[in-house]
Amino acid sequence: MNKAQPQLHACLECDLLIKMPDSISHRTNVSCPRCNHSIAVGHNNAKQYVLAMSLTALILMFIACTFSFISFSSNEQIRTINLLQTFTELYLQEYYFVAVLVFSFILLLPTLYLLSVCLIILSSYRGFGPLPTVWLGKLMSHILPWSMAEVFLIGVLVALIKVTSMADISLESSFWAYVIFAPLFTHIVSMIDNHRLWCWIEQAKEPSHA
Amino acid sequence: MLESTKPITAAKSGLVNCLVCHQLAPIASTHCKRCSTALSSRIKNSVQISLSLLVTAVLLYIPANIYPIMSTELLGDTTESTIIGGIILFLEHESYFIAAVIFIASVIVPMAKMLALAWLCYCANRADKIKQYELTKLYRVTEFIGKWSMVDIFVVAILVALIQLGELMSIKVGFAATAFAGVVVITMISAHQFDTRFLWDKVDEE
Ligand SMILES: [Zn+2]
Ligand SMILES: [Zn+2]
Repeated sequence: MNKAQPQLHACLECDLLIKMPDSISHRTNVSCPRCNHSIAVGHNNAKQYVLAMSLTALILMFIACTFSFISFSSNEQIRTINLLQTFTELYLQEYYFVAVLVFSFILLLPTLYLLSVCLIILSSYRGFGPLPTVWLGKLMSHILPWSMAEVFLIGVLVALIKVTSMADISLESSFWAYVIFAPLFTHIVSMIDNHRLWCWIEQAKEPSHA
Repeated sequence: MLESTKPITAAKSGLVNCLVCHQLAPIASTHCKRCSTALSSRIKNSVQISLSLLVTAVLLYIPANIYPIMSTELLGDTTESTIIGGIILFLEHESYFIAAVIFIASVIVPMAKMLALAWLCYCANRADKIKQYELTKLYRVTEFIGKWSMVDIFVVAILVALIQLGELMSIKVGFAATAFAGVVVITMISAHQFDTRFLWDKVDEE
């Protein structure tokens, strides 16, 4: 599958030169012999797997954005919010900086990451004309540290524990979608190492040359 | 790992690693052939940039603790609470679990992170022997825990969205939220700017 020649790779954290093996067997980890930095993880059909998982995660994200998230009732007053209100409410209170951060960290960046990986994989199967896969790959490496789906999930749980003592809470479909989305996203990220990602991007570039 | 000979690094072999796509290029090249990112063998002024961002974060951490992170309006009464105040309130209500989560995310993690970064910057500048393996591990932990301090901001965001029952009960954000979010973002950039390869270069020089 991986046609690339036995490549040299420099460790990101200690700069040691490492000869990458031609193929990495399933579920084995290639890491730097000097500083133990993880470089690549083997998987037999990572491409199909990641594509399927990413599409699932995108659907879950779509559900999380369309339906209502949590509803809260106290003294016969009911308030139902959707996921988007977690930052639009901040925006309305003129905390623009925090609103933009929350919007990006929990929604925009994870979605962009998944969309990019799907486009890269799809165009590595067949050329999609002038898709900027290299640009998408760069984008992915820049947004990865800022995707905080799993952190948001913990935040939601803490907020819920706090609120349950004050009022009745009911969890809606969007909440459950996000509960599945966050660990799934973390899992997808752990499947995409840089080595593999750029192999896909190389593959995506080839059909367009032919 | 035992090392009988001096380890061969990319820099010594006249190569430079692209930080985005991890492709090696001759050391003289200015941009990566594959992804056109600007190349340099080590992040330039890494320690200085990291340190100055760290100082900014420390300064910003002061208003983050002084100003209220949110204010609760309950039947006309307004109570403002700071990060520490919120934790104490949870302790008084015997919600030890939430108190612990908020305490870890908003106090321990940012403090530990800032201390770790300061220690890393100090060690990178020190002339004598350093424990690069332990320091690299410390760096990894610092990078990993970075985003977890956003928990408190997310909790506030959800509470603010959820609890808007007008006169009866409503919650507003406070200035500390902005300051604290700033601390998280700046410390994350600071950690990202730190180049652990400097630590390993020092071993190679010996
Ligand atoms: Zn290494
Ligand atoms: Zn590159």
